[in-house]
Amino acid sequence: MVEEAPRKVVYVQTYGVEAPDRMATPIYLAAAAAAMDMDVSIYFTVHGPTMLRKGVPGTVRVRKFDGDGALIGHFLDQARDLGVRFLVCQPSLDLNGMTMDDVIEGVEMIGGAAFNDLAVEADQVISF
Amino acid sequence: MSDTPSTVTVGNESAVLVDCRGLLCPVPIIRLSKAVKAAEVGRLVKLLATDPGSEPDLKAWEKQTGHTLVSSERAGNEFHFVVRRAK
Repeated sequence: MVEEAPRKVVYVQTYGVEAPDRMATPIYLAAAAAAMDMDVSIYFTVHGPTMLRKGVPGTVRVRKFDGDGALIGHFLDQARDLGVRFLVCQPSLDLNGMTMDDVIEGVEMIGGAAFNDLAVEADQVISF
Repeated sequence: MSDTPSTVTVGNESAVLVDCRGLLCPVPIIRLSKAVKAAEVGRLVKLLATDPGSEPDLKAWEKQTGHTLVSSERAGNEFHFVVRRAK
């Protein structure tokens, strides 16, 4: 039996710590996709990289309607444990006054060409 | 999760038990996926959940992963699913 290649999904996260109610959803969806044996990446761009700043995952909580939810780091770890790749966009690091030295371990930097290559090779690109 | 998962009898087979009652999406599907990956091919896994989204999620999970949803039952607020690792 020939194994089918896994479906590829790329989530694009443009929100970061400035929008605590918008941070976690793409991370949940990416984790669920990985649990469905898909090949999953999250591309953190615009303000997205701010949730990957060292110190943030262990201190910033997602917002729920009745107050604060779990730490964003919990959801990031959950996704990463399932094999979700985290990618950041270099100009977006600049936009947020960050360099790769400010970013937590396990994140890859890619540029616009690499993102577009990933996008056209993916089965779906879902943007938040 | 512990190294020695709980088991339960389904029909006359032993199934790995994954209790996700009280837990919200995407946790049930994540724990189910981990349990199926840890089980041998052909083994049953029983998932208990209360998340009302788990019913459509299990159908989607079956479709995308190729594992088998053997049964899906609702008992009050609980959903009981049995899946078999297919490959």
